[in-house]
Amino acid sequence: MTLLSVQNLRAYYQTQAYGISRTVRAVDGISFDLLPNEVYGVAGESSCGKTTLIKVISGNAKPPLKVLEGSVNYTFGERTVDMLRISQSELRRNVRWKQISYVMQGSMSVLNPVRKVIKTFQDIVDTHEHIKNKNEFLERTRTHINRLGLPAEVLNAYPHQLSGGMRQRVAIALATVFQPALIIADEPTTALDVVVQRGVLQMIRDIQAMSSNTVLLVTHDMAVHANVADRVMIMYAGRIAEEAPTESIFNAPLHPYTQHLINSLPVIGEKSTKASLKGSPPNLADPPSGCRFHPRCPFVMDECRTVVPDLVSVKERHRVACHLVKEDSL
Amino acid sequence: MRKFILRYLIPRIIQYLALIFIGVTVTYIIPRLAPTDPVEAQVSMMIARGSSLDPESIEAMSTALTELYGLSGSPVEQYFTFWGRLFRGDLGPSLGNFPTPVSKMIGQALPYTLRLLIPAVIISFILGNFFGAMSSYYPENKAFNVIEVLGQAVRSIPYYVVAIVLLVVFSYFIPIFPFSGAYPIGTHPNWHSLAFIRTYIEHAVLPAATLVLVGFGGWFVGMKSLTSNIISEDYVVYAETAGLRKNRILTQYIIRTAMLPQLTALAMSLGTVFSGALIMEVVFGYPGIGSLAIRAVYSNDYSMIMGITIYSIIGVATAVFFMDLLYPFFDPRVRYQ
Repeated sequence: MTLLSVQNLRAYYQTQAYGISRTVRAVDGISFDLLPNEVYGVAGESSCGKTTLIKVISGNAKPPLKVLEGSVNYTFGERTVDMLRISQSELRRNVRWKQISYVMQGSMSVLNPVRKVIKTFQDIVDTHEHIKNKNEFLERTRTHINRLGLPAEVLNAYPHQLSGGMRQRVAIALATVFQPALIIADEPTTALDVVVQRGVLQMIRDIQAMSSNTVLLVTHDMAVHANVADRVMIMYAGRIAEEAPTESIFNAPLHPYTQHLINSLPVIGEKSTKASLKGSPPNLADPPSGCRFHPRCPFVMDECRTVVPDLVSVKERHRVACHLVKEDSL
Repeated sequence: MRKFILRYLIPRIIQYLALIFIGVTVTYIIPRLAPTDPVEAQVSMMIARGSSLDPESIEAMSTALTELYGLSGSPVEQYFTFWGRLFRGDLGPSLGNFPTPVSKMIGQALPYTLRLLIPAVIISFILGNFFGAMSSYYPENKAFNVIEVLGQAVRSIPYYVVAIVLLVVFSYFIPIFPFSGAYPIGTHPNWHSLAFIRTYIEHAVLPAATLVLVGFGGWFVGMKSLTSNIISEDYVVYAETAGLRKNRILTQYIIRTAMLPQLTALAMSLGTVFSGALIMEVVFGYPGIGSLAIRAVYSNDYSMIMGITIYSIIGVATAVFFMDLLYPFFDPRVRYQ
């Protein structure tokens, strides 16, 4: 049983200005499944296509972003939803927020600065479930807020009266009013200090444990994945480099890029200098041939320059795309 | 509430009074630095008209005029007399229409200007902001694009040219509106007669249309640039992602935030209404403050110029003061905690 099945997804940004067309291959052939009741982490450096991937699977792809190929299929209990073909009104009425909700990047500023927090709740609830009884709505929202450990007073505050961490929590509370099957959280802890980060992560964990839904957690911060995620996908330049249960990713990374990511994490007490990868992330308008990581890879072979490595399963639930690793070689 | 009065209201009242004091003082000083002496100008005008006067009577007349114009005594003494008269609502006699008091002449002209300018400013404000917001929220819509081009085009034409074009088209080629004035020459204002009110409105249509057309472009461009920033703000993108209805996003998320700076600008333009619309009133022969000001400038009537300037200063300062008091109702971020 899968909640979401993404097959061979290609989504490019296609722009045209002054007769020059430009294609940025932000998501280039990605396949993965999301299971019910898990926290799935997506990691990768900036501009590797993480946010683009989320936009497509949440049904928010707008020009110049265009899906060229692939499928995005959800299964919500009895119902199946093809995200690439669903009508906008159907998406708005039955899927958004009820089944899939979204904690945006920069969530701290998602609240309307000139209206009270409760009004934002009201707008969102009213959009999906016409509010008939205002008192009942207020009562329900208060219960929801309290259940997430937030004081009910935040509802009557204006966004500028709340701290950044509090606003982030309100954004998460907003995303979970309908107890959706999938919560997509894009960089929910970025720009927060570590103490507040911990609180926010704990809250995400609690919500997930309480309602057994799936959380798709996107962040470049490996420490966050180590703490929260059940499985982690490592993206590099619009493709999946490696996907495995969190423990395997941290204890036995197979892809050279993942190895570098893990090795660069600081360890308490260690004093050695961390080696940094040479080079910089590739330009997705003109990505390298073969394996996209080859210009920066310390183990580069001739094959890497020309042949795109397949994403192969090496162990149970462990997939990696690297010519060094052959199927079932371990 | 007490805190609000002490920390918000009182400082603003002090600011308001200080602003008027400085403005009026500057208005008092500037004409006095001018090289022309109004007494001498008046006397030489009389001589030029051919009245033969002996030196003694010229001397006597100068003294009398100096006294009348409030120009006797040292500058400091004059300054205090000036404030004393101002408090009594006395702006002195008009030097051009001697001895009619300035305040009486302004009192006669002001209603014409206000009845024309206030509705015009408000109409162009509403239309400009509405269409500005719509055109940036619906960039694909053809109708809004056409309106934008027209608004921009009219805005870049000097308003007296717009006025003359309207006059030529709608009074001459298609004579549906009168040429000039606020009501037909020879009639007396009679506010109980519907027929008079009708002709009064007919006379006001073209001048008001000029102001609305020209003002519209300004508000439109301002609103469009404000909203085009706001539609990419996180909270608007979020509201769209959450599936909120477009109308709700437009009114509650976009227009509501974009209105704040626009309201300040509205207060400013309502304040400047007191100085009239100079050339527009001249083109249409409208008997408002603008016409009065032009005539005062031509005839060196500096007590009139000062009177109009003072009205304008008080008008702008009062409008800004009220806006300051009302602003917290619109924007919770400046609300006093």
